[in-house]
Amino acid sequence: MILLEILVYGAVQSSVYALLAVGFALVFGVARVVNLFHGSFYTLGAYVTYSLGVEAGFPMVLSILCGMAAAFLLGAVLDRYVVARVRDSMIKVLIVTLALTLFFEQCVYHVFGPEHLNIPPLVGQRVTLLGVDIGGQRLLVLAVSVTVIAVLWFAVNRTRAGNALLATAQNPEAAELMKINTRRIFMVTTGLAGCMAALAGGIVSSFIMVYPKMGILPMIKAFTIVILGGLGSLGGSILAAVIIGYLETIVAFLISADITDLVPLVAIFLTLVLRPNGLFGKRFKV
Amino acid sequence: MAVGFLTALVFVPLVTDDPYLIDVLVLANIYAIFSGSWDILSGYTGKENFGHALFIGAGAYGAAYLNLLLGVPPAMNLLLGGLIGVVFGVLIGIPCLPLKGPYLALATVAAAGIAERLIMIFPRYTGGEEGLYGLSPMTSGPVTDYYVSLLLLAVTLLTLMALGYSQRGLILRSIHSDELASEASGIATNRYKLAAFAVSAFFAGMGGAFYAHYQMYTGPTYLTMIMSINVIIMCMAGGLGTIVGPVLGAYMLTISNEFLRSIGDLRVLVYTGVVVLIVLFLPRGIFATLFDYLPQKKGGG
Repeated sequence: MILLEILVYGAVQSSVYALLAVGFALVFGVARVVNLFHGSFYTLGAYVTYSLGVEAGFPMVLSILCGMAAAFLLGAVLDRYVVARVRDSMIKVLIVTLALTLFFEQCVYHVFGPEHLNIPPLVGQRVTLLGVDIGGQRLLVLAVSVTVIAVLWFAVNRTRAGNALLATAQNPEAAELMKINTRRIFMVTTGLAGCMAALAGGIVSSFIMVYPKMGILPMIKAFTIVILGGLGSLGGSILAAVIIGYLETIVAFLISADITDLVPLVAIFLTLVLRPNGLFGKRFKV
Repeated sequence: MAVGFLTALVFVPLVTDDPYLIDVLVLANIYAIFSGSWDILSGYTGKENFGHALFIGAGAYGAAYLNLLLGVPPAMNLLLGGLIGVVFGVLIGIPCLPLKGPYLALATVAAAGIAERLIMIFPRYTGGEEGLYGLSPMTSGPVTDYYVSLLLLAVTLLTLMALGYSQRGLILRSIHSDELASEASGIATNRYKLAAFAVSAFFAGMGGAFYAHYQMYTGPTYLTMIMSINVIIMCMAGGLGTIVGPVLGAYMLTISNEFLRSIGDLRVLVYTGVVVLIVLFLPRGIFATLFDYLPQKKGGG
């Protein structure tokens, strides 16, 4: 019984992490940027969902979509006007995006206050899956995440725009020579990543704590998962998201929920020490 | 210049005995020690350590345990805190030697994060979120505390500068520019990197031990990512790889952060905003940029 519970809850958890990590991995692989602002898109998604869906009384789905649109714009602007200035220096990118994360957190704090917000779920009723009683919203999260990642997978590997993206990831200069506007690719990639993180923040907002600092830990987890999966490998990131998601769920069910946050930290430290290139990845050139 | 700066600081308590100002300056000295010690490893070799707080926390918690359980006096703890820092520096340094860029950043974030989580998970032994109280005070009063902190800063600054401007410092810089090339020239880069980890962790641990005794308290805030990030920000604001720059950066940001308290809640907002602008528009830090302009005004003097 507990095995089935782990199976179902772990799948939900993994799918959220995958949704967060895939965007992070895209930006990392295509724009060569470690965007530590990523967690703030997640926060943004949750807070837009709250202010439109709860305070302004918009339909929930529309509110989540608005959050995604806002994150897309913010991501594109961030890449164009901030990251572009420091793209060559890894540490500057890290520090600027991190400082902006703190800045954003403060903005949220001043507008909404420090308290935890309650957001009603899209799907209220509980469902039984494989004999496990689970909130319908969690299953919705699983379904949405899997669908979005599948669409992204198709778009990257099968469409012309996806090819431009892959070409830029392989060699920006050569891509530029092929008349690919790499600057626009970088902007769109960062925007898309933000969009997916905001979607994650919006749909999970009913069963997690929504407060100004909520994005920090997911950001570190996304970073962990992407490094674990290896650079530029979307498949690797998804696999790593599943590993971390299930490891956390197993630890939460069998030992204690207090130590779940320790799991990704220990996992990534050991991985980097034992396999510096990540579990399945090629090395990122600094 | 460093000597002039330190000498000027010696006279501060003669001019003012405002305990608030003295307290701010002690904090500035502590952060200057943290920043200078980060710079000798990360600013010089380009191996950016995002978990400096681990070494600070190791010194602070080490001093707290030694003082509370064994009654070790504060002065002794400054040295022991540094040595505990070295132990952690070597333990973290060895597995991190082959890592760089985002890999090293994440590994060091994770190492410090693990320590922080462990402290939260075992509150019975670590004080958990509340931390450990009741350490012996560093000295009897704020002015003497100030002089001890200044002495520590002087020792740190002069040692690190001597190291930084020596041939060893040059080797550390060569690792930054091209690690493969320096290795090919017969330099055992790993040994130098590890030594830099140890030196960096020593001064961070010593600073942490002083901080703990000065506050008579140790808590998980010493170990947070925010602490590590703050130190890096101070170094970047001051200019990486110069030792003096990060020390001045720490002074400037600590003091302005205190003055910003007058605007209350908005303080962190303004502070982070300014930091973003500094990193974006002053790529070599405030002081290097400032010095570029000075000679022009004085006509090349």
